[in-house]
Amino acid sequence: MDRLETFFLSKYLHAPKRNLFRFSFVFMVLGIVLSVGILSAGLNLFEGYESTLRSLLLDSFAHISIQASGGGYMSLEQSKKVIHKLDSRAELVSAIPSIQYTMMAMANDKIRTAQLRAYDFESEFPYAKYIEDYPGALAPGEVVVGHYLARDLGLEPGDEMTLNYPQLDRISPLGMMSGSQIFRIAALYRSGYYENDRSIVICRMEDAESFLLLTDSISKIEVRIRNAEQASSYAREYSELLGIEYVSIPWDIYAHSLLRLVEMEKWLIFIVFSFLVLIAGFNVVSAVSTIIIDKGNEIAVLKTLGASPRSIKRIFALRVGLAAIIAVALGQLFGAFLSWVVEKQSFYRLKGDVYFIDTLGASITPFNLMAVFLVASALIALCIYLPLKQIDRVQIITLFRNQA
Amino acid sequence: MIAAAYDIKKAYHDSDQLIEVLIGTSLEINKHDFICITGKSGCGKSTLLHIMGLLDAPDAGEVFIAGNKISSLSSEAALIRNRDLGFVFQFHYLVDDLTAAENVALPIMIGGKSSSVALSRARELLSLLGLASRLNRYPNQLSGGEQQRVALARALANEPALVLADEPTGNLDPAHSLEVWEMMTRLNRELGQAFVIVTHDEEAAARAPISYELIGGVLRQS
Repeated sequence: MDRLETFFLSKYLHAPKRNLFRFSFVFMVLGIVLSVGILSAGLNLFEGYESTLRSLLLDSFAHISIQASGGGYMSLEQSKKVIHKLDSRAELVSAIPSIQYTMMAMANDKIRTAQLRAYDFESEFPYAKYIEDYPGALAPGEVVVGHYLARDLGLEPGDEMTLNYPQLDRISPLGMMSGSQIFRIAALYRSGYYENDRSIVICRMEDAESFLLLTDSISKIEVRIRNAEQASSYAREYSELLGIEYVSIPWDIYAHSLLRLVEMEKWLIFIVFSFLVLIAGFNVVSAVSTIIIDKGNEIAVLKTLGASPRSIKRIFALRVGLAAIIAVALGQLFGAFLSWVVEKQSFYRLKGDVYFIDTLGASITPFNLMAVFLVASALIALCIYLPLKQIDRVQIITLFRNQA
Repeated sequence: MIAAAYDIKKAYHDSDQLIEVLIGTSLEINKHDFICITGKSGCGKSTLLHIMGLLDAPDAGEVFIAGNKISSLSSEAALIRNRDLGFVFQFHYLVDDLTAAENVALPIMIGGKSSSVALSRARELLSLLGLASRLNRYPNQLSGGEQQRVALARALANEPALVLADEPTGNLDPAHSLEVWEMMTRLNRELGQAFVIVTHDEEAAARAPISYELIGGVLRQS
């Protein structure tokens, strides 16, 4: 930047009102603010969706599930040995045995699919934060039910529901025998992860054993670790440590595709919304063209006084560019405001069966802020640069004749 | 000799018609000269001045500045305009968003000096031209005469050997016009810069030490 450009830059920065807030810039600035605002809000909401989904997945399921290799049940004795082997590991937060089974929940002549999850409530229960009015532990015959499941069955805490499952190993001349038992709802489970909220039924390990006719058996050991992102590498270590009798399955083996898809959608939205900034860029082209016509005599004078076309272009680019940068920053603030409004509103909720979660959350990250700023600035810089090329072609004498 | 133009020819196309405004005119300018060029409207006075100032290219002929043959299309033209020539136009053509002092400082900054040096020199020049109290005024806060004096100060900012003025008083009332004429003659006398002034004011031109009239595309000494 030469002396002249530095002088004009300091002039613009010291008197922005006179130099940058001009009527010819109004529509340019509005266009940028709106388009960048929408781009930022879109990205913030997708980021919020992705992080909410990720955190719900991590909080609602085991980070690593350790199961018997054959896929069947694991004895309590085996589970104790496994937990003992893992107990001293630094990354371990908890390792709790659980029984899981798919069954039918019935009440008020309604039937819904339910996922039974049974735990030993003696140790700290990792999903307690999602249970409304968590009683601390469940009494025999009590269950915690997903709030959507309770709503679908028309139930409330204190009501009773019947759990029913086909006993695949007990076949009578009339067909498969079904196991059935009545449970009382102690509390509701509300995580925000739709799939769990509409199907989960949590009960005591002892109740599940007697109901499912199991003796000292569990389905899996649910392991939670400090850094869930490293679940895959720890799962490999556990497989080596525990031998071929057991398989260790990290959480992301199921969620990987889903999270990749969400991330891809986020960047697709980013690209699509970036076109809005490009459309707003047309206003920038128009503003620059207007300023070139409007300031034709200044261009002519600067050229006459010996300024190079490159220097003149930079002076005008600085002027429009500074106004545009302020507009981009305002757009990002507007985007944050839009995200906040969407997060706080209550008239629209996500469809949980489509989007897995039912609440819209926004997340503003430095990386996304920078990405929006850089992409918007690059597009706008292009829209400033292209019309400024006219300055190269214009002859001084033509400018003076046109201005006279 | 600080500048010269020899056998300059220039023609314009107007619809199907070719209008020859300069048909081989020549002009030599020496140090301290104060030259007035008069002529009818459209006779090519301004065109000649623009060619002398490297703002326009002639169809034929040669322009010399400080002894060097130069073309307005050459890469050195901008440097020469900044260093060796000063310009005053009929309209002041001041930059609206700069103060009087900043406008005068422009050519100095374009020449590579810092803004503080340039502004200091600009303040000196404006004081010399009686505008010490108008340093921080914007062009729209100045009268026509003041605007033209600022433009004159800007033309003198880099102490050029030659100032080219294209009807500098054409847009001013008689009082302001006289003020600017007196200023130019005083600067020519005190600072030693050569002036070439294109004007319609034959009375003022008659008072100039050297006066030409452009007739039929060539200069004739009055």
